[in-house]
Amino acid sequence: MSGTLQVVFSGRRLLFLVTAGGVFVTLSILVFMIVLGLPLFTSNSFSLILTQDWAPDRGFFGIFPFICGTLAIVTLSLLLAFPLSLGNAVLIHLLLPPVAAKFLHRVVKMMTGIPTVIYGFVGIFLLVPFVREWFDSGSGMSILSAALLLALLISPTMILVFVESFAAIPKSQVRAVAALGGNLRQKLIYLYLPGAQNGILTGLLLATGRALGDTMIALMVAGNATAQPESLLDPVRTLTAHIALVMAADFDSIEFKTIFACGIILYLWTATLTLTLRFLPYGVLKSRLNRGLS
Amino acid sequence: MNRVYDCLLYFSAGICGLLLLGAVAGLTGFLLWHGLPVLGLELFFGSLKIGEIVDVIFLQQVVVDGLWPAVVGTCLLVLMALSTALPLGLGAGIYLAEYAGGKAKTLFSLTFDLLAGVPSIVIGLFGFSLTLYLHRQFSSLTPCLLISGLSLALLVLPYLVRTTQTALEDLPDSLRLTAAALGAEKSATIILVLLPQALPGIFSGVVLAIGRAAEDTAVIMLTGVVATAGIPRSLFDNYEALPFYIFYTASQFSDQHELQQGFGAALVLLIICVLLFTGAGLIRKKASYRLLYHSK
Amino acid sequence: MIVEKIVEIKNISFFYGERQVLSNISISFAKQTISAITGASGSGKSTLLSTINRLWEEVGGARVEGRVKIWLEGQEIDVYERQISLPELRRKVGMVFQIPNPLPMSIYKNLTLPLKMAGIKNRDLQREKVESVLKDAFLWSEVEPRLHEDARNLSGGQQQRLCIARAMILEPEVLLLDEPTSSLDEGAVFEIENLLLSLKERCSLLMVSHDLAQVRRVADSAVELVAGSLQ
Repeated sequence: MSGTLQVVFSGRRLLFLVTAGGVFVTLSILVFMIVLGLPLFTSNSFSLILTQDWAPDRGFFGIFPFICGTLAIVTLSLLLAFPLSLGNAVLIHLLLPPVAAKFLHRVVKMMTGIPTVIYGFVGIFLLVPFVREWFDSGSGMSILSAALLLALLISPTMILVFVESFAAIPKSQVRAVAALGGNLRQKLIYLYLPGAQNGILTGLLLATGRALGDTMIALMVAGNATAQPESLLDPVRTLTAHIALVMAADFDSIEFKTIFACGIILYLWTATLTLTLRFLPYGVLKSRLNRGLS
Repeated sequence: MNRVYDCLLYFSAGICGLLLLGAVAGLTGFLLWHGLPVLGLELFFGSLKIGEIVDVIFLQQVVVDGLWPAVVGTCLLVLMALSTALPLGLGAGIYLAEYAGGKAKTLFSLTFDLLAGVPSIVIGLFGFSLTLYLHRQFSSLTPCLLISGLSLALLVLPYLVRTTQTALEDLPDSLRLTAAALGAEKSATIILVLLPQALPGIFSGVVLAIGRAAEDTAVIMLTGVVATAGIPRSLFDNYEALPFYIFYTASQFSDQHELQQGFGAALVLLIICVLLFTGAGLIRKKASYRLLYHSK
Repeated sequence: MIVEKIVEIKNISFFYGERQVLSNISISFAKQTISAITGASGSGKSTLLSTINRLWEEVGGARVEGRVKIWLEGQEIDVYERQISLPELRRKVGMVFQIPNPLPMSIYKNLTLPLKMAGIKNRDLQREKVESVLKDAFLWSEVEPRLHEDARNLSGGQQQRLCIARAMILEPEVLLLDEPTSSLDEGAVFEIENLLLSLKERCSLLMVSHDLAQVRRVADSAVELVAGSLQ
């Protein structure tokens, strides 16, 4: 008997160690970046890195343009993707006949499986030339091109979350509104949108996280210019792309160390999003989300 | 007036649907148009003859002009990431669902949520800095297959933990009570009753993880993937991978042939990922059925 | 005649949170009989049953005072003693629930599960035991051709007999029955009652039931619980 007891006990111990190991590694990611970026905090003032322009030949190693670039692309892609996703979620849950709704739902699920590098690849050869011709501007690699592709990348996440949260609205409420003679538009405004507001917020936050963390689309079609962008048709470099691009440089240079500043910023941004999501009261949706969306 | 608003609603929702479907159709159509013509043995093995291809598979012959090394590299990456992350993810998922309680559970779950949110380029940066750090200790260590595999494992770990945990937590408590009344120790309940029931859920997490490991580019480009390396001879070698091949071709192609190869690679990766995601449902049903009802 | 005791409950009180469900209950049950505990719903009958195999501990939020003694293989065991192994106790004290609870797996696997958990791994022995226990439960002829099908496809009565067979496969000395027939139709009830009477030879049965006619049909003795106290 004591033999079995020991096995149970040590099994539990082992599982605990495994879990604690995962937690340890997660935290060490941040620690590693802080330690390696430490010279930035101590010598050169960190605020300069955050606010200056990027002009290594003149001794400026600021990542401010990249922060702007990231925010511009993310914001624009959300502005494009949000109405698109809401429209599609309404189509799937409310408007389309079952067969068509199922088809659209399938397509959206399949989209979550499309690799980002493929969005980037098709973007370069299909979208970028199009933007170049249409707007008659430079190379076509721009905030707009990246945001369009990014919108396509993050929409499926939002659509699936929206549909889930529409589905979570109690049938009794739907019947009650229907019994009052509410038509579809009224149901949407008075029942679905308010009832699903937590779900909608969740979808938005998840999508923001994906957009912030994307590297390949920005790297391939945003143009990677280091100057401060002035219009949507300007090429920009994002924080993620900056990390990917500076890798080749000399390991001891300040240039190289700025990528850790980018890493820290990205880590903190996504951590904030995760924490916000965590404290959203989204009940039923949560377990469904864990099962396969995020 | 109301009628106008209604029409507007239908119309704009319809437009959204058409835009989305149009974009997907455009994307896949474009890839198929350019990629299908090159899809074939030549795409993978270049100008090698059938006999030589057999040699390639047994590592007797090197592929100079083809996707084969990239396909092998991607498979090795998936294999390494999964073999590292699966035991850890299962273990942590089981611990969180069945053993952890109170504050520890909240804290641990939160950390895995955080990890799930970390952008893959940051995970890659972590892998790279770890290599840099280790390089000072063992100067022979440079970015390589091993580092990439481990970094990818870190990338997919939270998916595996989450799906395992949720799959177990979704099971009704009556299962645990029944097993306990039959004299089951906790470990026996988990192994003989709960895990087989949770298998479909866990399996979907595994498929998701395979897809992520196969498609991710940002992690590997910081940790050892290169454009031409051939088949890696050890864990400490550089290697090629499909997604990186696609990225590299997009910016560095020098002639029409290379571009065609790029389209072929993109189509192959798309097919692999879409098959993984859609085929998962089928396999997972079969797998759990065998385990629960077939008692040989 | 000296009656040999199998279970003795001494001063048991049961609290669920703030609420007291059982107050100071003392009672003993005789070996190789069917003893019935009756009472209205909510009187604490099922709770009393769960203090014997300590199954209430699996749910949480509850607390017990008092002692329970069981005589297994002639040895006196204090159920609430610290070092006791709960899995071993529950293998010797089987339990059948109100709603049949076959696990979502095949009939055969339902029956071999307790064997595997008790460390009986020999396949031939397992098969032998499954056959004999199904025959004891008058179920063998009905399920033999479909042993590897989902147990949940059986009828309610068949499911409950399967659950009794599953509880008996480890040859327990005590079988706890929590309203074993209340969710079944009349024909099935009759079959289960017959089965219970035939089991009396091999083990002691403690049955909770609110059906007085049933108690009269099968039980050798009966006690009544009213609002958590013995009447």
